[in-house]
Amino acid sequence: MKKEVPLAITFISGFLLIVALFIPHEPFGSLQERFNDWYIIVSGFTLILGVDSLILYHWRKIKRKEKEAPYSIILISTFVIVLAWGIYSGVKYGNPFAPASSFLRYFYTYMFVPLQATMFSLLAFFIASAAYRAFRARGLNATLLLISAGIVMLGRVPKGEEAAPYFIGITLILLAIVSVLEGVSRVEVYEKIIFFGLAVVSIIAIFPAAWFLKFNLPRLADWVMNVPQLGAKRGLFIGIWLGAIAMAIRIILGIERTYLK
Amino acid sequence: MIDTIFLWIAAGLTLAIFSFLYKDNPFYKVAEHIYVGSAASFWFLYLWFFDVEPKILGPFKEVFHAYGFWGMWAHFGATQWILFIPIFLSICMLLRFIPPVAWLSRWAIAFTVGMAAGLGITGALQGYIVPQTQATLLPVWSGDLLTSFNNIIIIVATLTTLVYFFFSREHKGIIGGFAKIGITFIMIAFGASFGYTVMARISLLIGRIHFLIFEWLGSLF
Amino acid sequence: MREFFERISKIDRRIIYLLVFIGVTIPLLTRKGFEFKPLQEVETAYNFIESLPEGSNVLVSIDYDAASMPELQPLLEVMLRHLFRRNLKVIMLGHWPLGLPLGQIALEKIAKEMGRKYGEDYVFLGYRPGIAAVILNIGKEIRGVFDVDYRGIYLDSLPIMRNVHNYSDIALLIGFEAGSVGDFWVQFAQARFNQKIILTSTAVVTPDLYPYYQAKQIVGLIGGLRGAADYEILVKKKGFAYAGMTAQTIIHIIIVALILIGNIGYLAMRRVR
Repeated sequence: MKKEVPLAITFISGFLLIVALFIPHEPFGSLQERFNDWYIIVSGFTLILGVDSLILYHWRKIKRKEKEAPYSIILISTFVIVLAWGIYSGVKYGNPFAPASSFLRYFYTYMFVPLQATMFSLLAFFIASAAYRAFRARGLNATLLLISAGIVMLGRVPKGEEAAPYFIGITLILLAIVSVLEGVSRVEVYEKIIFFGLAVVSIIAIFPAAWFLKFNLPRLADWVMNVPQLGAKRGLFIGIWLGAIAMAIRIILGIERTYLK
Repeated sequence: MIDTIFLWIAAGLTLAIFSFLYKDNPFYKVAEHIYVGSAASFWFLYLWFFDVEPKILGPFKEVFHAYGFWGMWAHFGATQWILFIPIFLSICMLLRFIPPVAWLSRWAIAFTVGMAAGLGITGALQGYIVPQTQATLLPVWSGDLLTSFNNIIIIVATLTTLVYFFFSREHKGIIGGFAKIGITFIMIAFGASFGYTVMARISLLIGRIHFLIFEWLGSLF
Repeated sequence: MREFFERISKIDRRIIYLLVFIGVTIPLLTRKGFEFKPLQEVETAYNFIESLPEGSNVLVSIDYDAASMPELQPLLEVMLRHLFRRNLKVIMLGHWPLGLPLGQIALEKIAKEMGRKYGEDYVFLGYRPGIAAVILNIGKEIRGVFDVDYRGIYLDSLPIMRNVHNYSDIALLIGFEAGSVGDFWVQFAQARFNQKIILTSTAVVTPDLYPYYQAKQIVGLIGGLRGAADYEILVKKKGFAYAGMTAQTIIHIIIVALILIGNIGYLAMRRVR
């Protein structure tokens, strides 16, 4: 009872949808519609799963009088106040999210939105700092990632093409210096030739590269997005979806049962 | 007047969260806990006003008003009776909170998992894998050099990325070569995604600073 | 020399934070805008809306919340204004509960500004759980999912909804996406019912949506603040997104410069070792 019924429910619901895709006629079409309707109702209840453990966690903190307990009091009282306010507005205006509702007008607009928006805007600072710290040209692949990121970052903003020539210039001069230093430290003649050659090529390339980027950077960014990036993303997502399908089949057939634990 | 007070509250909460950039502090913690507490209560409001009220109670409203609670049962049609199946499953979901019968919640979870699996399979197959594979069948020679070149790159990028994805263990021989080309394209794609992610994050900050300067400070002058 | 390289490879994070803050604030204060040309995928979206016959129904889906508000909210307002100006009808719903009111606030604001009437020119249906199931069932009969609007008013008593039953009555779907709901719209509404879709998305998810655009599963793609700015240029009303792009340019240059400086420090330190 505790295992068989859930497995049967999973099998029937999942299998029905697959059958309905290939045979959309009666009775599968309307059965699918019916099941979807039930799913809409039942899955709403998953929204509040997790809220209980959140509240319980903070309740325990308060009871044990932990150091952080005052914050837990704030959390639980906000929860209660907001819920009460929402219900009050819901009864008064038909829905707490009606345009005239005080809940929407004051709580949502002036408290919830600024909190959520600011919380996520912190990421702007973190990503700048992380880019500086972690983005190192450690090998060919890392360098490719850097170049592609640079093209997109500068190619997708106005006037990025004005700045790009300086960046490519500095990068190539840097490459030349590194190559010369590397060449000096090598013993074999052919190695010296390769590295000095690379240095010469970098210096010669500065002006053509700068010129190319100045006039073509937005188009280059377009090309990166629409051609190699697109192909790779397509391959990745086909792979991901194939994996998801395999997983879903295992679930429907009852091979994968971790969700029953 | 009330609007002005709430505008200041909004600005205060914004600054409280920004204060985290200096270091973790009580102001930030207070704002964070208000955020989490209110988000939690939102889910209840949504469940009630956009699910329980219209989908569960809605279909009973008319009979209930006409015949009252005790009289309505005799006047239920098929629509109402069949609704007891999802209502039962929804109640099962809530039984999670009552330990002796908590196992019944598995019935509801099994239903949502089965539906999600079925929807996932059909959507991915019909909506992604088939049309995206079709869109990759591009002409290798289209009559113009650049388009043909781009077509070839798209085909190669898609195929080699897939090879990398599925043969990640053994990278030897021809397959290994393909996988190496695949990782190159993946790096280009990740770079592009990173560039766009930077754009997204900065936009969020632009929004907040715009609020502080023009809406909050702007209201003073 | 060595100290210099060590220093530039270890700039304090608070200095970087300050740089980012200044880089955003100053361009916003100066309000200087750069000229640029709209991206092709945005222009096709704009042209598609321009080509719709007057009175067509447009379904707008709010699938984001305040965490990505600056990218999508101004664009939503600009697009709603464009839709109303072209006398198109707007039916709004959403799959992200926490952000749903943002859609409604914008809709009410623009409708008031343009003198449109609730129930005749626009309607707000609200939210139902179960994303893919909602999308699939709208393909059969929208009343099966939303028999009432967000206030509990029956759809049949709203003039705008009288002739709307499923996707065949909806000329265009515009999804405002901050996550994976856009994939569901394409995989169910487009693949099964051939619904025409424009996706407008946060920059984070935009690169993942390009395959849909190339495969013609969507008719337009408007990504991030840049896409929003492009759209503002196309409707000839430059606003928040356009102004924000200057700050965006400055910060991107700062970040690329920081990456370059970090790498100079890294390469130099590696040689020393």
